[in-house]
Amino acid sequence: MSTAVANKPKMSSEKKKMLFKDNLELYILLLPAVIVMLVYCYAPMFGYLIAFQDYTPGAGFWGPNTKWVGFYHFLRFYDSIFFGRLMSNTLWLSFLNLIWGFWVPIVFALLLNEVQHTGYKKCIQTASYLPYFISMVTACGMLISFIATNGLINRLIVALGGTAQPWRNIPGKFATIYVLMNIWKGFGFNSILYISVITSIDSSLYEAARLDGANRMQQVFHITIPSIIPTIAIMLIMAVGSLVNANTDMILLLYLPSTYETADVLGTYIYREGLTGGKFSFTTAIGMIQSIINFVLVFVANTISDVLTGAGLF
Amino acid sequence: MSRKNPNHIKNGSVAADVVIYAILLLLALICVYPMWYVIIMSISEPIHAQTLDVYLLPKGLYWGSYKDTLSDAKVWTAYYNTIIYAGVCCIGMLITCAMAAYPLTSPMLVGKKFWVIFILIPMYFGGGLIPTYIIMSKLGMYNSRWAIIFPGIVSMWYIILVRTYFATIPEDLRESARIDGANNFQILWNVYVPTSKPIFAVIAIYTIVAQWNSWFAASIYLTDEKLQPLQLYLRRLLILQQNLANQTQNGAGGTSDSEELAQKMILSADQLKYTMIVVATLPVMVVYPFLQKYFVKGVMVGSLKG
Repeated sequence: MSTAVANKPKMSSEKKKMLFKDNLELYILLLPAVIVMLVYCYAPMFGYLIAFQDYTPGAGFWGPNTKWVGFYHFLRFYDSIFFGRLMSNTLWLSFLNLIWGFWVPIVFALLLNEVQHTGYKKCIQTASYLPYFISMVTACGMLISFIATNGLINRLIVALGGTAQPWRNIPGKFATIYVLMNIWKGFGFNSILYISVITSIDSSLYEAARLDGANRMQQVFHITIPSIIPTIAIMLIMAVGSLVNANTDMILLLYLPSTYETADVLGTYIYREGLTGGKFSFTTAIGMIQSIINFVLVFVANTISDVLTGAGLF
Repeated sequence: MSRKNPNHIKNGSVAADVVIYAILLLLALICVYPMWYVIIMSISEPIHAQTLDVYLLPKGLYWGSYKDTLSDAKVWTAYYNTIIYAGVCCIGMLITCAMAAYPLTSPMLVGKKFWVIFILIPMYFGGGLIPTYIIMSKLGMYNSRWAIIFPGIVSMWYIILVRTYFATIPEDLRESARIDGANNFQILWNVYVPTSKPIFAVIAIYTIVAQWNSWFAASIYLTDEKLQPLQLYLRRLLILQQNLANQTQNGAGGTSDSEELAQKMILSADQLKYTMIVVATLPVMVVYPFLQKYFVKGVMVGSLKG
């Protein structure tokens, strides 16, 4: 920067030529990523226009034959019985996931930190990452097979004196299955950050505490936990940012028509009615609502975390 | 005093140690057992796999279901497709990341602020499923490998990640290379790329695993079985078949006969399913413990937040 600025007032034609050549090269380097992003990220934003039209497949986003309908689709969605159900399912599933999911990695990291034996620690950690590497399709497939009426889980329940149930078909159980699945898949991997923050705590703090007679619990509560609270705060805020994005991938694989009433979220409804049902304009309007809420949440979350850390996400 | 205190703490924590070790062991087992169960079911004698009395170790040893699975040409097609998508996306991702990140660290770039914002905006505001689908279809990417490859070779996150890494390379290196007469392409290739190997390793591994495990985009764009990756094959086998069986089971018109038939179908198919899971998942399972440090590094670099 300094050279460019310092030379600006009396820039020779040679310098100008250099700058031009430089930028030509730099822009060539930028080009591939920019093209992909223009097509895959920016053009679809322009495509939100069809939420205000009666779009017919094959037509352009804007043309002489475009039938504009204003906010018709938005109002139709707002008035439909799906609005309440989809909104509450989306928020409720994300909220439950946040409440139950965010503390498991923290507790896991705290427990792991108490293990002195390095080999044992390493093994446990490696095992805890395993579910993260299992694909969503495989994980859901395994789950479906395990919770089937003759599956592993039901046999365990029967062995313990309970009765086998078709868990996947019971609407009231979907949230539990969804949250447990998310925790199982992610807690090990999500603990990585906490573990490394805990490892980086100055060990002289513990020594000082021990000299003062602090026991193990006191050390955890007065040194370890206060040290990771900033990280916890940031992670929580970030999680709030994704509150309107329930895990569409997973729900699409797990839900059934019999559990739609509790499992259907904005993302799955758009997928079903839009791609399978061909209601392009209507579902684009729903998608736009979701994107806007999402944008506001992420923006607020980032701003708060900026203020808290002085750095923020970017 | 100072000798007594450490002892005291130690005495108090033996019981706690046992509890902590036990809880962690339980958690680890919960993570590992489902996969272990799938493996032992897949190689047990079919009788035991059908009566479902396999719990800890395989009963008997039977490779028939593997023979069946591996002799299915569709499995190999799906495998081939997955390898293509993972490989091409990985290479493409590395190239675009390096190329896009370099100008963003150059003091010469005119309009740098604009391009940084250009890359950040899509991270905040998505284009939506349907408009994306329409555009991709209009560009002729429906039922084409490009539907997976084209979006799979650029990531705003990874560009930011590489840019952050590049920014730690001393500016003097660029200047001295420039004085030696090198152009930007040469500087990127000979100075920046070699010094940033760790971050490229992280991105390569993340990209390959993500592609290996992804199914959503393929399910939208690829209806031709010849183009579909492994995960779609798995989805048909593990999810869609099960849903169908579920429907016939719960359907009002389902007689006890068809119910029994469905039940039988599920039972005998279980071993094949588990075998297919092992076949599709084994490469990742075998490799990930050795790549752990890269994953951990990825999380750390990502949390540094440019």
